[in-house]
Amino acid sequence: MSTVYFEDIAVDDKTVSNSKTVTKEEILDFARKYDPQPFHLDEAAAKKSIYGGLIASGWHTTAILMRLLVDNMTNKRAGLGSPGCDDLRWVRPVRPGDTLRYESTVVETRKSGSRPDMGIIRADVKLFNQNDEVVLTLKSIGMVKTRPK
Amino acid sequence: MRYWEDFTVDWTLEFGNYAVTEEEVIEFATEFDPQSFHIDKEAAKDHYFGGIIASGWHTGAMCMRMMVDGYLNDTASMGSPGIDQLRWKKPVRPGETLHVKAKVLDRSLPKSKPELGFVKFSHTVFNQDGEVKLTMISSGMFLLDPTRQPREASQ
Repeated sequence: MSTVYFEDIAVDDKTVSNSKTVTKEEILDFARKYDPQPFHLDEAAAKKSIYGGLIASGWHTTAILMRLLVDNMTNKRAGLGSPGCDDLRWVRPVRPGDTLRYESTVVETRKSGSRPDMGIIRADVKLFNQNDEVVLTLKSIGMVKTRPK
Repeated sequence: MRYWEDFTVDWTLEFGNYAVTEEEVIEFATEFDPQSFHIDKEAAKDHYFGGIIASGWHTGAMCMRMMVDGYLNDTASMGSPGIDQLRWKKPVRPGETLHVKAKVLDRSLPKSKPELGFVKFSHTVFNQDGEVKLTMISSGMFLLDPTRQPREASQ
């Protein structure tokens, strides 16, 4: 497949990803390493919490989204990384057994003012579960190389 | 145990001493962010970043771990609704040691949830030389202290 450069990307371009099922073991493993709070780690405590059961760390959810982005979009692009993201919302908890997929829509493309070999792409990204409920939204910012002359 | 009432505006705390290892950078990125500059030492040398760097989401996760150990596990934390702004200011490389500065920017009591309140934080991740690696404006939810005044008086 040919590499996607900045010039190949336009406003309203949509990407739909494959899906990934999250297991309880993965949720516990991530939480042990990076987010050992009771509602991510302890089933009995989670049951008594406002969430009513074990939920994935929000950082685990973003990491899963990143993996889906890499497999479906980022690794096809001449990407130069990202400076960050805005308005990230964990809209609904992600629970063991949930199957996640994203939809991404480009909302802005502009060439960098300081680097002529680079453009900046902004996109609205939504992560859904198997019931088509939105679990996470964010506005992504990606840096992509311009097509070599 | 800290409750919503304890997070007054301008509350600050410094914490964390997280040693970033090459093994962990590659392990995280292999599972969640398999781009060459995160997982392939040889390819990363020729890349813009000049060596492998941690996934930005890994840096966020390391920040989260420092937050949990630094103060959250001694609070009535109920999770977070989200992050208003997240910025990866400089690449994080194996061999660096990270710490965090937290500050309360604002707080509020939602009408819809009488048992908890929101706190808006700024978190900044630094390396051992004081270089800023990550900045984040995010919110946390905390239970109100059941032993204190009713919520009308605590606002």
